[in-house]
Amino acid sequence: MELAKKLIKVAVNGESRELWIKQNITLLDLLRDYLGLTGAKLACISNSCGACTVIVDDMAVKSCSVLAMQVDGKEVFTVEGLAKDNKLHPLQQAFIEHVAFQCGFCTPGKLMSAKALLDENPNPTEEELRRDMEGNLCRCTGYKKYIEAIMDVAQHPEKYSAKEG
Amino acid sequence: MADYRVVGKGIPRKDSIEKITGQAKYTFDIVLPEMLHAKILRSLHAHAKIVNIDTSEAEKLPGVKAVITGKDTWGMRFGFVDTPRYPCEQPVIAEDKVRFIGESVAAVAAVDENTANEALDLIEIEYEPIPAVFDPEEAMKEGAPQIHGEQIPAPGRKCAWQDWGVARVARSYNPVNNIGATVNLSYGDSEKGFAEAEYIREDTWVVPRTSHAAMEPHGAVASYNPLTGYLDVWLSHMGYELKRYWISKTLGIPISKIRVHKTFIGGAFGGKAQVFDHEIIASFLSRKTGKPVKLILTRDEVFTSTNNSIALKINVKKGVKKDGTIVGQHVKLISDMGAYRGSVPVCLFLCHSMRDAIYNIPNLTHEGVGAYTNKSTTMAKRGHGSQQMTTAIESQMDWIAEDLGLDPVEFRLKNLRQKGDVLPNRDTLNSYGLPDCIKKIVEASNWKEKRGKLGPGRGIGLAVSAMFNGSGYWPFTAGSIVRMNHDGTVTLYMGQAEFGQGPTTTTCQLVAEELGLNVEDVNLVDGDSELCPLDYSNFLSGGMFVSCKAGLVAAQDLRQQILKVAAEMLEEDVEDLETMNRRVYIKTDPEEGVAFDEILRYSIQKHAGDLLMGKGFCKPVPEIEFYPSLSKGSGRWTDAYSFTASIAEVSVDAETGRTKVDHIWIGDDCGREINTAICEGQLQSQAVMGMGDALFEEVMFSEGRTINANFVDYEIPRAFDIPEITTIDASDPDPNGPFGAKEIGECARAAVIGSIVNAVYDATKVKITSLPLHPEKIFRGLEEKAKS
Ligand code: FES
Ligand code: FES
Repeated sequence: MELAKKLIKVAVNGESRELWIKQNITLLDLLRDYLGLTGAKLACISNSCGACTVIVDDMAVKSCSVLAMQVDGKEVFTVEGLAKDNKLHPLQQAFIEHVAFQCGFCTPGKLMSAKALLDENPNPTEEELRRDMEGNLCRCTGYKKYIEAIMDVAQHPEKYSAKEG
Repeated sequence: MADYRVVGKGIPRKDSIEKITGQAKYTFDIVLPEMLHAKILRSLHAHAKIVNIDTSEAEKLPGVKAVITGKDTWGMRFGFVDTPRYPCEQPVIAEDKVRFIGESVAAVAAVDENTANEALDLIEIEYEPIPAVFDPEEAMKEGAPQIHGEQIPAPGRKCAWQDWGVARVARSYNPVNNIGATVNLSYGDSEKGFAEAEYIREDTWVVPRTSHAAMEPHGAVASYNPLTGYLDVWLSHMGYELKRYWISKTLGIPISKIRVHKTFIGGAFGGKAQVFDHEIIASFLSRKTGKPVKLILTRDEVFTSTNNSIALKINVKKGVKKDGTIVGQHVKLISDMGAYRGSVPVCLFLCHSMRDAIYNIPNLTHEGVGAYTNKSTTMAKRGHGSQQMTTAIESQMDWIAEDLGLDPVEFRLKNLRQKGDVLPNRDTLNSYGLPDCIKKIVEASNWKEKRGKLGPGRGIGLAVSAMFNGSGYWPFTAGSIVRMNHDGTVTLYMGQAEFGQGPTTTTCQLVAEELGLNVEDVNLVDGDSELCPLDYSNFLSGGMFVSCKAGLVAAQDLRQQILKVAAEMLEEDVEDLETMNRRVYIKTDPEEGVAFDEILRYSIQKHAGDLLMGKGFCKPVPEIEFYPSLSKGSGRWTDAYSFTASIAEVSVDAETGRTKVDHIWIGDDCGREINTAICEGQLQSQAVMGMGDALFEEVMFSEGRTINANFVDYEIPRAFDIPEITTIDASDPDPNGPFGAKEIGECARAAVIGSIVNAVYDATKVKITSLPLHPEKIFRGLEEKAKS
């Protein structure tokens, strides 16, 4: 039986929206199917790969495993909101310069996890970073360049200050 | 070393912006107007007759637009191998019987995914289970259940290789005792070799199935236009030619009316090379409904229904002189193929040929057999046979060295081939960086101070591997176009699939180097079958050596055209001119010159509207028309080999049996690193993937059912697990490679696995002969050793 649709209020990448949604959809469905934001990916749907990671109220969450209803009244931040006013985020710049990614499928999730971590702890040790990124699988890179890029942003933020994209 | 401006630099990838902003569109991200969503109903039986399928209830469900079964696709066959000897045998949808759990039995297209899933639940299937067989050796016994009772191929069916020009007609046969592939080749006389030997050793290894586990699940979007008869598809793939050939062959749509659009591809590793049932099904459903259809597999389906890597039991007997000279080798392989052949016939052959460029073994016999079992099919995975054989051979090399009191490094160096050697199949080693790979990492890792001296629970191990550089396969060529633009920049058109390994960026570098441009001056159109020339893609590790090289050849062609017009304009000889920064200048007077845009205008105005447009082609193994014999292994099959040596240092916890890889050193001969950052990335990738293979990856089955079909139960390496990785370039430029370059994406994985296996042995002295090296196996081995 179809559940009645519900109205939620959510800010996505800084823009507030009111949306009538089916109650059983995930946050990932909301972003992809309702808002056309396809940056967050689906690779496992079982909360075990991190390809779908977005930020909800400053916390990195796996959007495949969160109901859209749960973000009612919250702020959601996705990879599409990372570059502002045609300027790349420092993490994006570092990923490019370190050639951190290969196929790119896990990259949006990695960016959002890394952003959530650095926002909370701007100076992580490499060990903390590796632990924090454990939930973000990557089959291509062997992780090394991702870690180097993120550590570089943490240790040398001046290298990546706002730059025209 | 020659001084290059762009080649040999670790510059950022061409696809950077798309990939870090979320703009990159993968197949799953494609949305078309009125698009339907499809789902596949899959067999829950390992082996059963299909007595009846009732789809009437599913068809009645509101929102359902089409339901298809094997009746609709009856007689359509596909497979990775479809040669006269090995005609393919996989149906698009199971017809009168199912052969593995996960095989497709019906498919639904509906207005949304939920409706499609609901409809699957309404399909009634009456099965009559028949005895199944899961072990290849059981499968080959008299009286075992026969997985293929019917004649292969159906009478009158032409195999792919006939379509591609091979004169022989497909052999028709009924598989006997489930044997679906064999290889049998030899040179010298291995029995004579064993007679001469002063020491003989025999070991048997078991290498299990693993998952390619590309992060992007397989999927397809297909859109058929009933008015024009054109089919547009978006796929997660490794080369569009093969996919559209097979969609054309199965559905009867002319190949020129099938367009594979550019998509971003989320990793492949061999696991997306062949055409899949879901790709044909999505296309079929789109033609049937006249609407676009999206069909994306779940992770569970990727594990259970696409393909795993190839499982092998490997028996190696080796005869050696006391001084360490190898005089004979006899290899026997048994492969658990799965319900259809997959790429096993190729793998059985590659197990020999990938290793043949390494050691000089005068007397050799190589036998292999693949048996059908009631499991999913198996396919090439990053190295295709090399990693299985390397594990078996390289561990045995260490055990022989130990028994004979030889140094494992010296023992290997003594038996290596040499640059310039002609192999028994007539391939020539025009480049051979392997000795250097070994020497450089032995030094960098401080091997001599560490081997056997690291103390309890710690060890260091070495292994070496080789990889080919393209071989004959559809469409047997790669083409490329480089066109001059109005502003003096160029546009490169290339077909090779970019799934992360970086060929588009590196080819832009080749073109920029050749024309004296910056990489930013090379625009790129890639990965679209309608916009780009025919392309062999990166099949059989020919990405750099064949496909990227075609881009360089096109740039060389364009350069000659530019110089010819410039010579006319400057009234100079072509030989006296050079190109740099979108301009041609006179070598002796660099101030004098003409800009590229002026040259283009001049060419158009003074000639018959002549645009400046270079074209380039490249073929794997120029001297041969077709592939060598897979079953006999005769004939040339590649034009160059790449090499890797790997050293791993590990710690093994005696309490738990758990291994931690501390450091991996890789010495690699890829001819020349075109993009150093991308090359380093490829080696790091293989170091970490190889660590997963060595220590924990295995697809597990119970009665034909995959029991760990998700990322919780099937672990792949995570950020926290990764060791120190040191990569060292030990390239020997190949005269036929673009700027000397060869492949770098596949070779190292095998050497890494072998080196970890050998390091664990060095640490524990426990001989384990099956992958992965689960803590349990090591723990038991240590326990037994303590007892004895
Ligand atoms: S898709 Fe959400 S964690 Fe994998
Ligand atoms: S870059 Fe491909 S999965 Fe991470």
